[in-house]
Amino acid sequence: MNQLLPILMAFSLSATVMANTDWNKIEADAKGQTVYFNAWGGGENINAYIDWAATQTQKKYGVSVKHVKVTDTSDVIKRIKTEVAAGRTTNGSVDVLWVNGENFKALKQAKLLYGPWAESLPNWRFVDLNKPVRVDFSEPTDGLEMPWGTAQLTFIANQATVKNPPRSAQALLAFAKANAGQVSYPKPPDFHGTTFLKQLLLELAPDAKVLQQALSPELFTKASAPLWAYLDQLHPVLWRKGSSFPKSAADMNQMLADGQLKLALTFNPNEAANLIATQQLPKTAYSFGFSKGTIGNVHFLAIPSNAKAKAGAQVFANFLLSPEAQAKKADLKIWGDPSVLALDKIPAQYRQSMQMTAPGALNEKIPTLAEPHSSWVAAIEAEWLKRYGAK
Amino acid sequence: MRIGLPLIVARGASKGSTLLAIGLICIVFLPVIPGLVRMGFDFFQISHWFAIWQDTQTIPALMATLSSTLISGVLALALSLSIAIEKYPSNAWHSIVKRLPSLLAMPHAAFAIGFAFLFAPAGWLARAIAPLMAWDSPPDWLTVQDPYGMSLGIALAIKESFFLLWVMMNLLGERHIAQQITVARSLGYQRQQIWRSIILPQILPRMMWPFAAVLAYSLSVVDMALILGPTTPPTFAVLVWQWLSDPDPQRQAQGGVAALILLLVLLTLGGVLRGVAWVYQRATVDLDGLRQPNRFSMLSWLYQFGVLISFSLMILLFVWSLAQSWFFPALWPDELSIKAWLNADFTPFKTSLWLGLATSLIALVMVLIWLEWGPQRNNAWLYAPLVLPVIPLSAAQYFALLVLHLDGTVMGLIWSHLLWVVPYVLLSLVGAYRQFDPRLMLTAQALGYPRWQACLYMKWPLLMRPILGAFALGFAVSIAQYVPTLFAGAGRFSTVTTEAIALSSGGNRRTMAIQAVLLMLLPMLAFALAAIASHWQAKHRRGLR
Repeated sequence: MNQLLPILMAFSLSATVMANTDWNKIEADAKGQTVYFNAWGGGENINAYIDWAATQTQKKYGVSVKHVKVTDTSDVIKRIKTEVAAGRTTNGSVDVLWVNGENFKALKQAKLLYGPWAESLPNWRFVDLNKPVRVDFSEPTDGLEMPWGTAQLTFIANQATVKNPPRSAQALLAFAKANAGQVSYPKPPDFHGTTFLKQLLLELAPDAKVLQQALSPELFTKASAPLWAYLDQLHPVLWRKGSSFPKSAADMNQMLADGQLKLALTFNPNEAANLIATQQLPKTAYSFGFSKGTIGNVHFLAIPSNAKAKAGAQVFANFLLSPEAQAKKADLKIWGDPSVLALDKIPAQYRQSMQMTAPGALNEKIPTLAEPHSSWVAAIEAEWLKRYGAK
Repeated sequence: MRIGLPLIVARGASKGSTLLAIGLICIVFLPVIPGLVRMGFDFFQISHWFAIWQDTQTIPALMATLSSTLISGVLALALSLSIAIEKYPSNAWHSIVKRLPSLLAMPHAAFAIGFAFLFAPAGWLARAIAPLMAWDSPPDWLTVQDPYGMSLGIALAIKESFFLLWVMMNLLGERHIAQQITVARSLGYQRQQIWRSIILPQILPRMMWPFAAVLAYSLSVVDMALILGPTTPPTFAVLVWQWLSDPDPQRQAQGGVAALILLLVLLTLGGVLRGVAWVYQRATVDLDGLRQPNRFSMLSWLYQFGVLISFSLMILLFVWSLAQSWFFPALWPDELSIKAWLNADFTPFKTSLWLGLATSLIALVMVLIWLEWGPQRNNAWLYAPLVLPVIPLSAAQYFALLVLHLDGTVMGLIWSHLLWVVPYVLLSLVGAYRQFDPRLMLTAQALGYPRWQACLYMKWPLLMRPILGAFALGFAVSIAQYVPTLFAGAGRFSTVTTEAIALSSGGNRRTMAIQAVLLMLLPMLAFALAAIASHWQAKHRRGLR
C-alpha cells in the first residue's frame, strides 16, 4: 500500500496535467469560432452584461460571441429539435443556451445535449457545491449544464401604498380581496407566471413532498385540487377580473410603477434595487418574500449536441463562471444576479460585489423552497390554460 | 398602330431573357409550394382538427380575430370613403392627401406601440383626464387588449384607412372622373349625390383587391395583435403562430392546419365580399333628376380624428424615448434626457438597414427585368402574397429553408422578405412602366442600341422617379416584416421591428420607445431620400420635372 501511494499520486497528478492539456486544446480550437448564445433578451441590464462578457471573451480568447435574443426558451428547444429531425446533427444554429427546468429535461431526454462538460471546466473549482448546482428541478444535471446564477421568487411592492405585504398564499388572497383589481400575475406559460402557480401549489398541496416525484395523473389531481380552488377564488378579484393578464414580470413592474397593480414579482432578489437605480420604479419600492419560503432555483447554460462551436461555447461558459464575470454579474449596478460561486473559494477582491445590498433589494432571509419536479410544469400549464385560458 | 407598337417591341425580347425574368421570380415563389403542400396533407388528418376543436382557446380566438378584422375592414373603408366624399374635389383634399405619405410610412408595429402609449389605462389619455377625475391610480379601462379585439380592430382601421385613401387618391386622379364631376355639378347635383350615383359605382369595384389586402392583413396580423390584441386567448393568428412555434411536432402540424383555416376564413370573407358587391351593383341608383342636398357626415370628422391620433402618437413615442422617470399620473416626464439614446442598442437598426437595402435592391432588379422581358399578361398571381395571410406562407418558407439548411442565414432571410417586397415593388412600378411611350424604345433600338442598353441609358433613367419610389416602398415593406424575420432568421437577426415587439412584452418603455422611433424613422427616411434623389436627378431635365 505504501508503495502504491506515490503511483496513485503520480496518476492523479497526470490526470490534472491531462485535464490542463485538454483545456488548452479546447482553448486553441475555440480561437476564431463564433458562438451563438441563445438567451432571453427581455432585460436591458442582462443584455448589457452579456454584451460586456462577449467583448471580454473576444479580447481574452479570440472567441466571438453573438447574443441571440430569445423571447421564449421553448422556441430554442423547438429549433434544436427541428434541426436534428431534419438531419442536421452538426452545424446547428445554437451553440449555448440559457436554460433550466422543463426545457433542460426535454433536451436531456431527447439526448440533444453535448457533454458532460460542465464539471471539467477550470473554473468549476470555485462553484459553491452547497447550492443546488447539480440538480435542476429534481433532475440531475450530470454535467450537461453549467450553473450560471441563482434565483429566488421575490415580490415587489411600494411602501407608499402597501405597508404590510401579504406573507403567505392565504394572506395574498385576503390582500387581493381587499385590493380588488390591483393584483395579478403574468399569464402562464410565462416563466414567472408558472413559477407563481408552483409557489402556490407548494404551499397549498396537502402533501408538498409528492411534488418532488415524477408526475402521475392521480398525484396531480390530488395535489393540485386546492390550487384550482384557490385560483377560482382569486381570479374574480384580480386585475380585469382575470380576463386579461400582464404580459410578463417586467410588464408588472411598469404597472406597479404606475399604481395599476400593488404587487409585482421577480426571480431576482436584487431586481427592485436595480429598477430603482434606473428610474423604472419609484424610490419607495421594496422586496419581500413569503415567510414559509419561496421557490428558489439555479439557472444554467447548456450546449446542444449539434452545436457548431462546442469549444468556443465552453470557453465562453468558463469565462462566465470566472470570479471576475460572476462578481460583475452580482453587481447591483450591472445586473444583480446572485452568484453560484463560494465566497471562501474566490479571491478576496471579488467578494465585495457579491455581498452588496441596496435600497429596494430583498434584505430579509427568506427560506428557499425546491422547485417541483419538472414533469409537473407542463401539466400545471395545460390545466391552467384549460380552466382559465379562454375567459 | 396603337396595338401594334408594343408587339414590335415585345418581339425584341429574346427567349433567354424571358426565361431569366421568369426564373428569377420563380426563385421567390416556387420554394413556398412544398411547404404548403405538406400543410395540405396535414389538413386532411382528422386528429389535428379534433385537437384544434378540443382546445378551449380556438373559438374565442376566432371570434376575436373575426371581430377585429371586420371592424378594421368596414371602419377603414367607411373612414376613407367619407373623407373622400366630403372633400374631393376641393382645396382641403390636397392638404389631406399631402399628409398621407408620412402616415402610410409609419410601420404597423410602431403605430401599435404608440396607440398603447396613448390609450392604455396608464396611457397619456388617462393621465390627461386623471386630475379631473381625481385618479391616483390608472382606471380599470379595457382600452387595449380587450377580449373582443375591438381596440386592435380600431387601431388597424385607422392605419388601413390611410392605405385605402391612398388607393382612392390614385383612382380619383384619373382625368375622366374629374370631368364627370364637373358635368354633374354644372347640372346642379350636390357632392354626395354625385358620389353615390357616379363615382362610387366606378371606383368601388376597383377597390376590391386593395380591400381584400386589408382583410388579409388584419386577419393574420401578429405584431400588432401581440401589443393591442386580447391575451386570454389571443387572436387566432397569434394562437396559430404559438402552435407553429411549439416544440411538440404534433402541435406544429396542428398550427399548419390552423394556418390553412385562416386562409379558409379569408376565402369565405372574400366570398361574402363578392356577394355584397353583387347586391351593391344592383342597388345603385342613377341620377334621377331629383337634386338631393348634402347631409352632415360624422364619419369624415372621425377620419380627421384618426389623423390627429396618428400624429400625436408619433410625438408621444419621441417623448417616451427621452423620458426619465414618468409614472402615472404625471402628464409630462420629470426629466427629459438623451441618456437612453446614447446607450441605445443600434444593432437592430443596422440589421434593418442592410436587410432593407439588400432586399429592396434585389427586388427592384428582379421587377425591372420582369417588367421589361417577362410575360406581359397573366401577372395577377404575383400579387397573391398581398392578399393571402402571412402565416401559412411564412411557415411554408421556413420549411423550405430548413430542408435547404438556409434558415438563420442572411440569404434565407433576404429570400423570405422578397415574397412580400417583390409584389409591392411591382405594384408600385407597373403603372408607370406600362405607360412608358414605346416609341422611345423603338427609336433607341432603331439607332442600333441593344435593348438592355436602351433600358440602362434611356428608359430607366427616365423612369427614375417611380423606380426610386418603388425602391423606398420595398424598403419600408422589408423593415415592417415580423413573422418572416422570426421564422426565416431563426431568431438570429433582430430588426427594429422584432426588437420593438420583444420589448413590448414588458421591460423598459424608454428602450421600447427608442426602437419604435427608429422603426418609424427608417421608412420615412427612405421615402424622403427617394424624393430628394428624384428631384435632384430631374433638376436639369425639364421633361422630368
